[in-house]
Amino acid sequence: MREELLSLKEQALSELAEVSSLDALKDLRVKYLGKKGPMTEILRGMGKLPAEERPKIGQIVNEIKSTLESAINEKTVVLEQKALEEKLANEKVDITLPGRQPKEGHLHPITLTMREIKKIFMRMGFDVMEGPEIENDYFNFEALNLPKDHPARDMQDTFYITDEYLLRTHTSPVQARTMQAQKPDTPVRVIVPGTVYRCDYDATHSPMFHQVEGLVVDKNISLADLKGTLELFLKEMFGSSVKVRLRPSYFPFTEPSAEVDISCVICGGHGCRVCKNSGWLEILGSGMVHPNVLRMSGYDPDKMSGFAFGMGVERIAMLKYGIDDLRLFFENDLRFIRQFK
Amino acid sequence: MLASLEWLKQYVDINIPADELVDKITRVGLEVETVTKLGEGLEGVLTGKVTHIERHPNSDHLWVCMMDYGQGIVQILTGAQNVHQDDMVPVAVVGSRLPNGMKLKKAKMRGLDSFGMLCSAEELGIDSKLLLPEQRNGIFILPPDTPIGVDIKEVLGLNDTVIDIDLTANRADCFSIIGLAREIAAVTGCELKMPALTVKEAAGGSAADMAAIKIEAADLCKRFAVRVLKNIKIGPSPDWMQKRMRACGVRPISNVVDVTNYVMLELGQPMHAYDYDKVADHTLIVRRAANGEKLVTLDEQERILDESMITIADTKHAVGLGGVMGGLETEVTDATVNVMLEAATFNGPSIRRTSRALGLRSEASGRFERGVDTVLTHNALNRAANLLEEMGACETVAGIVEAYPEPVQPTVINVAPAAINNRIGITISKEEMIATLTSLQFAVAEEGGNLLITVPSWRNDVTCDADISEEIARIHGLDHIQSHLPVLGVTQGRQFVIEDVKDSIQDYMAGVGMSEVMTYSFINPSAFDKLQLPADDSRRQAIELLNPITDEFKVMRTTMAASLLNAAAYNLARQQSKAAVFEVGRIYLPKQLPLKEFPEERSVLCAVISGKCNDLSWCTCRDNVDFYDIKGVAEGLLAKLQFTAYTLVPYTVPYLHPGKSCAIEHNGKIIGWFGEVHPLVQEAFGLGQEAYLLELEVEPLVEAATAVPQYQHLPKYPSMSRDIAVVVPASVTNAELERVIREHAGELLQDVRVFDIYTGKQVAEGCKSMAFNLTYQAADRTLTDAEVDASMKKVIAEVGEAYKAKLRD
Repeated sequence: MREELLSLKEQALSELAEVSSLDALKDLRVKYLGKKGPMTEILRGMGKLPAEERPKIGQIVNEIKSTLESAINEKTVVLEQKALEEKLANEKVDITLPGRQPKEGHLHPITLTMREIKKIFMRMGFDVMEGPEIENDYFNFEALNLPKDHPARDMQDTFYITDEYLLRTHTSPVQARTMQAQKPDTPVRVIVPGTVYRCDYDATHSPMFHQVEGLVVDKNISLADLKGTLELFLKEMFGSSVKVRLRPSYFPFTEPSAEVDISCVICGGHGCRVCKNSGWLEILGSGMVHPNVLRMSGYDPDKMSGFAFGMGVERIAMLKYGIDDLRLFFENDLRFIRQFK
Repeated sequence: MLASLEWLKQYVDINIPADELVDKITRVGLEVETVTKLGEGLEGVLTGKVTHIERHPNSDHLWVCMMDYGQGIVQILTGAQNVHQDDMVPVAVVGSRLPNGMKLKKAKMRGLDSFGMLCSAEELGIDSKLLLPEQRNGIFILPPDTPIGVDIKEVLGLNDTVIDIDLTANRADCFSIIGLAREIAAVTGCELKMPALTVKEAAGGSAADMAAIKIEAADLCKRFAVRVLKNIKIGPSPDWMQKRMRACGVRPISNVVDVTNYVMLELGQPMHAYDYDKVADHTLIVRRAANGEKLVTLDEQERILDESMITIADTKHAVGLGGVMGGLETEVTDATVNVMLEAATFNGPSIRRTSRALGLRSEASGRFERGVDTVLTHNALNRAANLLEEMGACETVAGIVEAYPEPVQPTVINVAPAAINNRIGITISKEEMIATLTSLQFAVAEEGGNLLITVPSWRNDVTCDADISEEIARIHGLDHIQSHLPVLGVTQGRQFVIEDVKDSIQDYMAGVGMSEVMTYSFINPSAFDKLQLPADDSRRQAIELLNPITDEFKVMRTTMAASLLNAAAYNLARQQSKAAVFEVGRIYLPKQLPLKEFPEERSVLCAVISGKCNDLSWCTCRDNVDFYDIKGVAEGLLAKLQFTAYTLVPYTVPYLHPGKSCAIEHNGKIIGWFGEVHPLVQEAFGLGQEAYLLELEVEPLVEAATAVPQYQHLPKYPSMSRDIAVVVPASVTNAELERVIREHAGELLQDVRVFDIYTGKQVAEGCKSMAFNLTYQAADRTLTDAEVDASMKKVIAEVGEAYKAKLRD
């Protein structure tokens, strides 16, 4: 009986070695370890054995069973692993086919630029003010020290609606509106983004464009404060390596006035087509608020002083994104807009 | 403003290169636009004399010239017809270069060699507008006394450098060669020289006996002065003068007129010359024009004047528009014998209005607009007489006749040095301030600790201490100001809440695949017709511009629909399979027209979608977008903004399809609409296919959008879900069925959703099958099948009852 059992074991193990599929393995388990298998049969026939033989044979049977059991289990792991590998190998996709992207839209580069400018100034504690695009002569000109027939009105070709009403030519009217809405001599720290209009239409002028105005009024505000604030803004906007220079200029609503240039962001200041070989780009206008402007808005220029600045958003967006044609902003070609994230 | 460097050098020693000069004056506030080297690229062109000329034997239009150019005699062929024996002309021999980049080579024309070419003014790079009429066509014929073999650049003043300055409106004082020289002298520390102002007055007599002056409108003219010149010999002005005038962009005409222009360019004082013998009673009167008064100006146009305009009249009628343009009748002509030379100080704003009203803007009016120094009148008259005497073109009568009712007093400003330092944010010593101001010819006295500053007569822009601080700052150098940040309280910068909502709208729209466009606020009024707006539609009441650039930009939009439809059409016409565009912008709604008060500027979202659902893809689904896509965008946006207090109602929008559109109603007010674009509108905008539009006001959304969402407890017990499908007549709407279901399902019903609509073979003609999914849930227990089945049974019965609906298997 012992020999019989051992040869059964050998037979089972050699069959197991041949098994190559999980199904065959299942059959093998049933065949040797199942209820109708030879082991069961032998165990059943143990009653005929002498009593002292029984434990020995029983022990051998159990050893064989557990050997087979663990051999089959080991084989199962191997075959399962193999089966999984085969399955994965057959499930390949063409990873080069395009993915199903949710279709995202794009914000206009002017919006993106405007938001960035606002963000920088809001971090510095500036409030964002708004004003009407259809203005009157008083706020657009007179309150800014530009009386009727002042030659500087020519700096801004104006769209008129009536003698009194016009499309604002700059965001500066909101300076006067802001100060006049406050109690006299209240400190002010605002920027004013907005759409403005000038009667000029060619490759480098759009009749509608965007500006951001800034105004700070407080005690002891100086031109040096203006310079520091604009340097901080321009370095945030164009990178810390950008150089800033102020050039005396003229705006009727500021005195002293200065144009602000940055070192050319295209060539780094060495001279190129964009900066007309000067190494500098004109980026905004600025100055100390003219005493007349403060006075007209109810502020006392002997107590309060302030600075103001104004920049063209299109100009900044063009430099930031390397856009070389102003007209693209208003053509609304989706192939253009989709380039901005 | 154009300035000749050669001319400037006469009055200030400029011993630095042009680019250094440009940098220096830029840094004190004179913005240099361009620096032009006249005659750039012109090399080796010499003066030459035509020693022999004959027709080309094989051509009717070519001439064969033998040219003496100082270094020999060459044969040159020309097609010009204005060349004659012994003429002096510019000769470009083989090897010379022209400004257009051309290098002369030997050429053969109809069998004969040509060793160069004879040049026209244009070929030499001279703007023909700046030439006398006889110099413009054909070869540039030089004066007969021109030497042979001289570089043409020398002869024509083409070795000069011209600086173009974009002069700011405040710097009237720099609108002249002397003014610029003065500024350069202050900046470089070089000495300023003044032009010769001595007059021989060889004609003797007394101008006061020969001419009379009267100012009747003292508010429009501060000072009016004349000199009388006798024995005038009209002729061309000397070459050196013509060269300088051309360099400064002014065309030479004849000596007397040229001298008035030359003096204006040099000193900044506009002048005018009258034919003395044509001025009635030799009397000039400065007065307001009578309304409707007529005057024929120098350009032979009849002008209708009004009382705002400054007129110069003799005792009979108007003879000129002061400061703008002279009259034709008293013009100086070849026949003129005696001249009255005028130099006056006219009121800037009046000149500005007049020159604009008549469309007559000139070098003179530009200077008056900015303001002319009253001190200049005598200098200008003396300089002009001096030049004409030097040219032998006149004899001057003794004395100046003038009216100057109220002599202008110099401005004196009292300022504390500390105030200047505070404004600039630096510490400049009082001594440096005084030195700076003195270099600019301000007179400075000290009074207590303050400076008492007398402003020079030409600096009409300096009126207060802020102006003084600018003078100090710009000469000190803005680069030398140490920047710092203002010391201000800590605060949080904010924008208006509606701006936050607009940002959210933009972000949502971009997130669902729409791209933002930026369209002009002004539109073509024909858009209202394209949009099929009825004649009485309030949107036709649009604010119109008085001076639009074109009809395209004529009225302020009252709807954004046209702008966005145009943007969509623009893209569809450019091979885009889909246009999905939006903009949050303003519409402009007048309370009445013409505008008497500020109009409402209302913020509106407008979106248009049209075309393929997906761009071309290997896994496409539906073909084109439809009504439910725009509706989905609207619903999704409103949900995102937490805006639930609205209903969709039928509403007629003229530019939308009546059967495929609806309005969004909130608190009984229509705040927006969406739907398919009306087929006629679609055609009018050239869309070429269906398009879907959404318009929505922003303001009503603000409150809901800014609410903070409040947490609702998550359900503790499972929900149960049931489907029913019913066959109903095709006209029954989803909303009706949903209402009936909700009414009868009881309070355990959480949600109803339609998930299938079917028409076809398996349902009867005129009917459709709609399938709904119902979700039941209770907050306090797990539902039983029995409860839900009971509710379903009731729903089925009621739906069947209401719509003769049949349960579909």
